[in-house]
Amino acid sequence: MGILYALVGRGSVVLAEFSGTTTNASAIARQILEKTPGNNDMHVSYSQDRYIFHVKRTDGLTVLCMADDTAGRRIPFAFLEDIHQKFVRTYGRAVHSAQPYGMNEEFSRILSQQMEYYSSDPNADRINRLKGEMSQVRNVMIENIDKVLDRGDRLELLVDKTANMQGNTFRFRKQARRFRSTVWWRNVKLTIALIVVLLVIVYVVLAFVCHGPALPSCF
Amino acid sequence: MSFQDIEAGRSFASRRNLINGKQDPTQAVASGIFQINTAVSTFQRLVNTLGTPKDTPELRDKLHKTRLHIGQLVKDTSAKLKQASEIDHNVEVNASKKIADAKLAKDFQAVLKEFQKAQRLSAERETAYTPFVPQALLPSSYTASEVDIGSDKTPEQRALLVESRRQEVLFLDNEISFNEAIIEEREQGIQEIQSQIGEVNEIFKDLAVLVHEQGAMIDDIGSNIEHSHEATAQAKSQLAKASKTQRSNSSLTCLLLVIFGIVLLIVIIVLAA
Repeated sequence: MGILYALVGRGSVVLAEFSGTTTNASAIARQILEKTPGNNDMHVSYSQDRYIFHVKRTDGLTVLCMADDTAGRRIPFAFLEDIHQKFVRTYGRAVHSAQPYGMNEEFSRILSQQMEYYSSDPNADRINRLKGEMSQVRNVMIENIDKVLDRGDRLELLVDKTANMQGNTFRFRKQARRFRSTVWWRNVKLTIALIVVLLVIVYVVLAFVCHGPALPSCF
Repeated sequence: MSFQDIEAGRSFASRRNLINGKQDPTQAVASGIFQINTAVSTFQRLVNTLGTPKDTPELRDKLHKTRLHIGQLVKDTSAKLKQASEIDHNVEVNASKKIADAKLAKDFQAVLKEFQKAQRLSAERETAYTPFVPQALLPSSYTASEVDIGSDKTPEQRALLVESRRQEVLFLDNEISFNEAIIEEREQGIQEIQSQIGEVNEIFKDLAVLVHEQGAMIDDIGSNIEHSHEATAQAKSQLAKASKTQRSNSSLTCLLLVIFGIVLLIVIIVLAA
């Protein structure tokens, strides 16, 4: 995945190269360098099996890279532009008189770093960074949906429990009212019983005092 | 101004007819100044169209011809003015004629200044703007160029030129296809971002619906709890009343027991006696 091989050349002379894997990219790259004549600026892509060779020539300096076909064109050509600028900034006018592989020892490390950067770092491309951020936002929102659904389930349980509690408290109120009524009636019965007993005692006492059950002496 | 000059010229001419019989220089100068005025107005109108969509190579050509025409008129009128001046110096003429000639000279100076100003403005604008080439003009220019190439160059040079042009066209086609590929890839990326944003939008809408429904559920929970609270409060009140009644029941029960005890005691005492 990504960029696997990179090369910087002048005409058909290779100045620096780096290969991320063991392939025959180097030979094919040399063929491409020899096959592209002239000295004018150009952008071109050649396909070879599953790989595509992207070539960019500016001001007589050729930058070439081999990439997967899934990498598209935007990222490889951004890589080529970046390498070209770094190379020109580092070596300046010495490019036009350099020996073959003259810059390979130090620039191959830069090629390696930039290949790694453009292959795996989403920040290398603004659209890919936006895509990654939108994916993160979507994942967070999906988690939010799951949490809200879970909350909904628990709220349903809570609705059921509070409904049960409401029913129970209604029953409690009814039974409390019934209990109060029962106790009240018992109180009434006891009062009546007390009155009856008192009346009986008074009658018995009067019977003794008046000398007879029919109370003859008192009336 | 010009018409007054012409009238003055005529009156003086008729008067000179009676005295001297010569009328050409002054009237010629007046006529020349009038023509220069007209040409300078035309020139100014052409200068005003520089820098507008009407600015075409034909207009530039007309401008150039008008400038040459004005130059010729200025030369002729200057010569005639010199003749009139010589006549004034050599021949004894009346003061009115001298005054008229001086006025004509001043008018001529003013016209020259105006022309120079218009000419400077024209030079500025011709430098600042390039003429607008209409679309129909290009094929004829191309054809003229082709004819020119055909007439000027040898067959070998012509073949080289055609080959170079073909390679240039091929190079431009390559650049165009490359840029189209880059643009298409960027469009795909942007479309993907757009679809993801659409998905996030749908997720937000679903979340809003869920939250709204759960709001209704929470309202139900609240009302259930309030009803439970009211029922519990009423039940508590009923239980309090029942407790008070039961305390009264206990008192009555004790009282009855005491009375029964006393009655039983009295009965026992009476039987024992």
